Amino acid sequence: MDYIFLGWRTKWVINLVLCLVFYSFINLAWARHAPPIRITGKVTDGATTVGLPGVTVQVKGTNTGTVTDANGAFSIQADDTATLIVSSIGYQKQEIAVNGQTTINVSLQEDTRSLTEVVVIGYGTQRKADVTGATVTIKGEELAKQPVLTATQALQGKAAGVQIISSGQPGTSPTIRIRGTSTALAGTAALFVVDGVLTDDISNINTADITNIDVLKDASATAIYGARGANGVVIITTKKGTTGKMTVNYSGNAGFRMPASLVRMANATEYANYVSAASGNVVNPGTTSTDWYGQIIRNGFQQNHGLSVNGGTDKATYFLSAGYFTDQGIVIDNIYKRFTLRANNDFTFSKYVKAGISASYSNGDNQIANLNSAYNDAYRAAPIIPSKAGTKYGNTSVYQNVGNPIMDIEKNNNKATDNRLLGSAYLDIKPIEWLTLRSEMGGDWLNQNSRVYNYQFNNDTTSFITPGGNQRNPNSNLTFENTRTFHWTWNNLATFSKKFDKHNLTVLVGTTAEQYTQVKFSAFRKDVPAAQNLWYIGTGNANTSTNDGTGDKYTRNSYIGRVNYNFNDKYLLTATLRADGSSRFPSRNRWGYFPSVGAGWLLTSEPFMQSQQIFDILKLRASWGRVGNDRIPSDSYTVTVQPNLAYPFGGGIATPGSAITQIKDPNLKWETTEEADLGVEFSALNGRLSGEVNYYNKKARDLLINVKVPSVTGDADGVVLTNAASIQNQGLEVTLNWRGKITNNISYRVGANATLNQNKVIGLNGGQPILDGGVGANQQYTTRTDNGQPVGSFYVLQVLGVFQTADEVANYKSATGQVIQPSANPGDFKYQDTNGDGKIDDNDRVFAGSYQPKAYFGLNAGLTWKGLDFSVDFYGNVGNQVYNGKRGFRQNQLDNVERSMAYGRWSPGSGIQNEPGANSGNLPASTYFVESGSFVRINNATLGYKLPDKLLEKVRISSVRVFVTAQNILTIKKYSGFTAELSGNPTNQGIELNAYPTTQTYALGLNVGF
Amino acid sequence: MKRTTYISLSIGFTAVLLTASCQKSFLDVPIQGQATTATDPNLAVNLVTGVYNSLYNSEAFGGAGGDIHGISFIAATNIISDDADKGSFDGDQPSLKDIDNFTTTPTNNFVAALWNGYYSGIARANQALAALQTASIDASTKSRLMGEVRFIRGYYYFNLVRFFGKVPKVVRVPNDAQDANTDPAFQTRAPVDTIYNVITQDLQYAISNLPLRAQAGAGHANKGAAQALLAKTYLYRKNWQQVQALTQEVINSGQYALLPDYSIIWRYAGNNSSESIFETQSGTFNNGDIAVGGYCTWQGPRVGGKGGWTDLGFGFDTPSADLVNAYESGDKRKPATIIFIDTSPQHKGTVLYDGFRIPSADSVQNLYYNYKAYASENPNVEPYLGNRDKKQKNVRLLRYADVLLMAAEASNELGQSAQAITYLNMVRNRAGLTATKAASQTDLKQAIWKERRIELAMEHDRFFDLVRTGRAAQVMQAAGKNFVAGKNELLPVPSLQIQLSGGQLDQNPGY
Repeated sequence: MDYIFLGWRTKWVINLVLCLVFYSFINLAWARHAPPIRITGKVTDGATTVGLPGVTVQVKGTNTGTVTDANGAFSIQADDTATLIVSSIGYQKQEIAVNGQTTINVSLQEDTRSLTEVVVIGYGTQRKADVTGATVTIKGEELAKQPVLTATQALQGKAAGVQIISSGQPGTSPTIRIRGTSTALAGTAALFVVDGVLTDDISNINTADITNIDVLKDASATAIYGARGANGVVIITTKKGTTGKMTVNYSGNAGFRMPASLVRMANATEYANYVSAASGNVVNPGTTSTDWYGQIIRNGFQQNHGLSVNGGTDKATYFLSAGYFTDQGIVIDNIYKRFTLRANNDFTFSKYVKAGISASYSNGDNQIANLNSAYNDAYRAAPIIPSKAGTKYGNTSVYQNVGNPIMDIEKNNNKATDNRLLGSAYLDIKPIEWLTLRSEMGGDWLNQNSRVYNYQFNNDTTSFITPGGNQRNPNSNLTFENTRTFHWTWNNLATFSKKFDKHNLTVLVGTTAEQYTQVKFSAFRKDVPAAQNLWYIGTGNANTSTNDGTGDKYTRNSYIGRVNYNFNDKYLLTATLRADGSSRFPSRNRWGYFPSVGAGWLLTSEPFMQSQQIFDILKLRASWGRVGNDRIPSDSYTVTVQPNLAYPFGGGIATPGSAITQIKDPNLKWETTEEADLGVEFSALNGRLSGEVNYYNKKARDLLINVKVPSVTGDADGVVLTNAASIQNQGLEVTLNWRGKITNNISYRVGANATLNQNKVIGLNGGQPILDGGVGANQQYTTRTDNGQPVGSFYVLQVLGVFQTADEVANYKSATGQVIQPSANPGDFKYQDTNGDGKIDDNDRVFAGSYQPKAYFGLNAGLTWKGLDFSVDFYGNVGNQVYNGKRGFRQNQLDNVERSMAYGRWSPGSGIQNEPGANSGNLPASTYFVESGSFVRINNATLGYKLPDKLLEKVRISSVRVFVTAQNILTIKKYSGFTAELSGNPTNQGIELNAYPTTQTYALGLNVGF
Repeated sequence: MKRTTYISLSIGFTAVLLTASCQKSFLDVPIQGQATTATDPNLAVNLVTGVYNSLYNSEAFGGAGGDIHGISFIAATNIISDDADKGSFDGDQPSLKDIDNFTTTPTNNFVAALWNGYYSGIARANQALAALQTASIDASTKSRLMGEVRFIRGYYYFNLVRFFGKVPKVVRVPNDAQDANTDPAFQTRAPVDTIYNVITQDLQYAISNLPLRAQAGAGHANKGAAQALLAKTYLYRKNWQQVQALTQEVINSGQYALLPDYSIIWRYAGNNSSESIFETQSGTFNNGDIAVGGYCTWQGPRVGGKGGWTDLGFGFDTPSADLVNAYESGDKRKPATIIFIDTSPQHKGTVLYDGFRIPSADSVQNLYYNYKAYASENPNVEPYLGNRDKKQKNVRLLRYADVLLMAAEASNELGQSAQAITYLNMVRNRAGLTATKAASQTDLKQAIWKERRIELAMEHDRFFDLVRTGRAAQVMQAAGKNFVAGKNELLPVPSLQIQLSGGQLDQNPGY
C-alpha cells in the first residue's frame, strides 16, 4: 500500500478538496431553509449567580452548538421551535424550549453526580462515569495560575500517582513519573499527547492555552497507546473557539525568583582553621572572604503575558493566542525567553462533516549558564581568594587547582534557540447517526540551534589579579549546532456508537502510522573574535575548522481497537487492543500486542442503593492491561562501526580507521509492563465529598537496561543494552475532595491526594546488579540496582562513628584479631566491616535507601468570599534518600567545606560521632553522604480579587482580576544541600552534583477580559 | 445533497482509511549516519587502523576505552619506580600517590583504567582479526595486516602480564552479552605461562608475516619490531638463547643504528629514526592534533609558588632525586632526560632547546621534569595545532639501544662477556662515557642493569626491570617505599571487574 504511506500528502489534498465540495453543498442546502433566529443569553450558577464560562449550549437534535464565554454569555442560532440543551461539567443538564424567545438566561444547578463529566481517553472521549481505568483530569485554570513555565511543573501535587520532580533551571521541564519508576534506560518520561500529536516535550505549550489535562495512569487506560503507554500518558487539550461575540483576554504576571534554600560555605577564617587542621600547614585567612555561591546566584526577574482572542459563528470558531514568557533564573548570565502563538479553528460544514486545525508555534531562546563547572567550583573554591576586582578575576586555580566559578560562567556564552511548530488537523465525517469517521494528521517540526562561544583568556595579569594556574583558554572557539526534527503521525479512526435498549456500545477501530526524522549538523572554529557581532563560523581560523553531522529515522505502524460497553448505566466494560510495529526492533521482534480489559460497576444505579442517602455515586472498577516501552536509540540492536579512529603512519595527516567498540544484543525486544488496578470512586453528601481510592500492581519485565560487562569483552563503555531486569511498583492512591459553603458568599474547598508506592527490582534475569552513580575519582559508584531493592539504591559503606582516640583505632579489630582500619587516625570515620574479613573495601558496602519515595502527597485548599479568592497548595515527598554528591566530590585538601562541617567537625575530646575531623576530602562512598530526601512545602499560594461587575460595565470591560501569587514560599526539608528534587536516570537518580536549586517565585498578576 | 451520497462517499473514505495495512518496507528503516559491518566497504583495513588508534587510549577517569599509554601507564611504569615521583603538589590525585607509595587498593581508578584500556585494545585487535578472516583482499596483504594486529595484541598482553600477572586470555570476539558474561575465558584469569604463550605465538606470527622495516612503511609494525619485542618477552622468561638469537637478527638486519645525539631521540626530529623500533605515531586529523592523550600535559612543568607564567602541564611523573644522582658525571643523557628547574639566586630560569624559558624554582611547582615528555610550544619547531592534550609526541616503546642492552645481557648470561661488553659500550660511548670497567659476569650484569636504568630512564621500563631481576623489594625499600615483597610486584585486579565476574576473577596476593 504505497498509496497510504508514500502518498499521504496527496491524499490529504484530496481530503481537503472533498471538504470544500461538501462545504459548498451544505451552503446550498441551508439556503433552502427558513432563516433561524439568533438567541443570546447568560448562564449562571444557581447558587452564586456568577456567570459560568465553558457551558455547552446545543440545539437539540442537531450538531449546532456553542460554549459560553468567560462571563457565561452565549449566542446561538436556532429555529424558533427548537429546544436548547445547556450542559456543563458538574451541573445538571437543562432543556429549554425556545418558543420564539431571543433572550434566554439559564440558571444551572450543581449536579452532585459529578461523575457525569466527560474525559479524554485517547483517540476519543468518554463519560467519566463509564471509565474503567484510572485517569485524572486537571483543569487548565488550576495550572495556569502558577508562575511556572510548563504545565508539567504546574501538575505537581495535583493528582495522586503523578510524581513531578522540579527543576529550577529556566527553560527546562521537570521529570514526571507516573506510578513509580518502572523502567531503567528506555526513557522514563510519560507520553504527552497534544491535541492528538504524540510528543515527549511540552515546554513549547503555553499553559494558558490548555483547557484540560487528562492523565491516564494505569495500563488499561494507556494500552490504547500500546508501546508508548508504559510510563503513563498525559493528554493535553487546548482551548477551542466558542460561538458568539469575540472576547479578548489578557492575563499576565511578573515577579522575582530566588533560591529556595542555600548551602552556607565556610568563610575565610573558618576555612583557614579547617584547612590548617586538615593539612597541618597553617593557612592565613587574609583579609578577603568570598562567598562563592553568593557571587554566582542572584534574584531573577520573571514575567509571563498572554493575550487571547476567541469567538466564532455556527460554522467556524476560532481561538487565537500569543504568549511571552521570560525567566532570568537565579544564576548570573542566565535568561530564558519564550514566545508562543496558537491558532485553533473548527469548521462545521454540515451535520455530517466537520474539520479543524490546531496549530502552535513557539520560539525559545535560552542563555544557559555553565553550571557544570561553576557549581562544583563554587563548592570547592577557597573563600580566601578574592572573587573579582574590576575586570580581573581572583585566581583560584593557581591556589588550589579549582576554576574561578564566576569565570566558568562569564567566559562561556551558551545560547540555545528553538523554533517549533506543532499542530494537527482533522476531518470528521458522520454519515449516519452512529458512525463517525475521522482522519487526523499531526506534525511536529523542531529546529534547534545552539551557539557556544568560549572567550580567549590567559592565566596572566590581563585576566587575573595574580597570574598562573590552569584556568585559561589560549584560543577562543565557537561551536554552532543545528538539529532539525520532523515527526508526523496519521490516524484514521472509525467510531461506532449506538444504544440498543439498555445496551450502550461504542466501538473504535483505527490505524496509525508515524515517522520521525532528524538531521544534525555542527561546525567549529577557533580564533573567532570576541565581539558578539562576529560570532559566526566564517570569522574563525579556517585551519581549525571541523564539522560533524548525523541523523536518525524511525517509523511506527499500529492498529488500534476499543470496545466500550455500558449496560443500563450499571455495568461497564472496556476492552482495548493495540498492535504496534516499530522499526527500532529487529524484524523478528518487531510487532508487539498490547491488550487490556476493564470492568466497572455503578452501585448507585442498583435498586438496593436507591434508599441510602450518603452516596450520590459509588463505582467499583477493576482492570488489567499490558503496555510497552520502545524508547531506545534506533541503533540499539545493530552492530555499528565507529568511524574516525585515525592513525597517522609516519606522521602528518592521519589515515581514517574504525573500530567496533560496542557489543549489541541482536534480540532486543519490547519492554512489557502488566498492571492490575482496583478502584473505588464516589461522590457523597450531595457532592460535597468526593474521592477515589486505587490500588495498583505494576510489573515491568524484559526491561531494557545497560548491563555492565567485564572490560575484557572490550566493550568501550563497559555496558550492553539488553532485556534484563524486572521492576515492580505497587501502591495505593487516595484522593479526597470536600467543598462546602459557610454562607452564600463564602465557599471553600479542601482536597488531598496521597500516593504510597513501593518500588522493587524483582529480577535481574541472570544479569549482574547495576552499579552506577559515580561521584568524582574516588567514588566510582554509589548506587546498586539489585534484586529485592528499589531501583538505584544507594550502596555505600556504613559509618559507625568517628574514631575518638588512637586506642579506638587499635582496638577496632575483626574476629580474628586483625586491626580493621590500621591507617586511620583519631577523627577519621569508623566503617562497618560488614563481611568481617578484617578490612574495609567495596565488599563491605550496604544498601542505604534509594531516591524512590515511599509516599508523595498534595494538599490544596481554596476559599472565595465575594470577589476575593484565596488558594494554597502543598506538596510533599517522604521516605526517600538523596546523596550529597557535591560533598563527596570534595577531593583536595585546599577545597572549602560547608560551614556546618567547619563548626561541627570532630576534635579530640569532642565526642562527635557524625562529622569527621578536619580532612582533605576524597572519602569513600558511605552513609555519611546519604541524607533524607523527605520534604514538604507550600507549592503555591494565590490571593486574587475580582473587581465588581458594576464597576466594569461603565468602562466596557467584562472582567478584571488582580492577584498575588507565590511559588515555593516555604520548604521544610532535612537535606542539607540546595534541593532534594534531583533528576537523573533511574539507576543514578538522587545525587546532587550540579543541581540547579529549586527556586521561590513571588509575582503580581492581572487578568482582564473584554 | 442526499444522505445516501454521504454514505457512499463515506464508504469509499472508510475503505481508504482502514485498509492502511502495514507495508513491510515502511518499518524497515536502515540506521542513519552509522556504517555497519555490512555497509563499510573497507571494514577490515579500517579496523586494522583502528587497532593502531587504540595505542592512544588514555582515559583514566572511567571514560570509554580506558588507558593504554596515558597517565595510568605513566604511573604504573614510571611513578611507581624509583626513577620518578608522583609530582605536582602533595594533595593532587591521591590515587597516583597510592601507586607511588605502594598503597594502591583494588578501587584505584588509574589501575582500573589500565585494565579497561588494554582489554579494549585487545578487543579491537580481535575484531580486526575476525574481519580479516573473511575480507576479500589478497592473501599477502591479509597476512601482513594480521601480523601487524597480532604484534599489537602481543604487546598489549606483554604489558598486561607485567602489570597484573595472571589475566584472562581473550583471543576472540564475544557473540553477545550473554556469551561475554558466561564464557569462563572472559571471567577467569589464565596462568602467566598461558599468557606468555599467547604473546609468543602472536609475535612469531608477526615475525613470519611482516616485512623488514625498510619495506613496512613508517609507523607500521614490522619484522624487526616483532623480533625485538619477542626478545624482550624471552628476557622476562630468562630464555637467554632466544634473547640472543632474536637480538642478533635485529642487529644484523641492517635496519637499525643508534642516533649519534641522544637528546634527539624523543624529539620530533627523532621521530621514526634509525634507532626507533616501535613508537606511537602522531600527526593531525580533522584539523586537530592526534597523539596519545595527555602524555605531555600530565608530565609538563607546572606553575607554582609566585606563578606568573603559562605552564605546560600538570607536573606529574617528576624525575626523582635518586635518578638525578644515578648518572655518572659527564653523561650526556642526564640533561637530555631531565629538565632542571633553576634554584640559583640569580633567577635565570631554565631555557629549553627551543628557546622556551621556564622561570626559576619560586614560580614552579617541582624541581625536575621529564624532558622526554616535552613537546615544543612553538609550532615552527615541532608541529602543533594547539590541542594541549594531544601534543604531537611519538611515545617510544621499543628502541635499538634496548635491543643492544638485551643482547648484552643475554650474551653475559651465556658467558660471552666480550660480546656483552661490546654492546654495552656502544650505548655508553654514545652517551659520552668511557668503556665499562666491569669484567666479571656478576659485575657486568650489574653494569648492564645500571645502564638500562640510565639509558631508558623515564621510558616506562625501570619498574618492570626491577621486578624481572628480582630487585624490586630491595631497591624500593632502600628508596624509602613501603614495598611488600610478594605483593607489590603486581597491581591489584580492579575490584569492579572482580564483582562483574561474580567473584570468579581472583585477586593478586596481598590485596
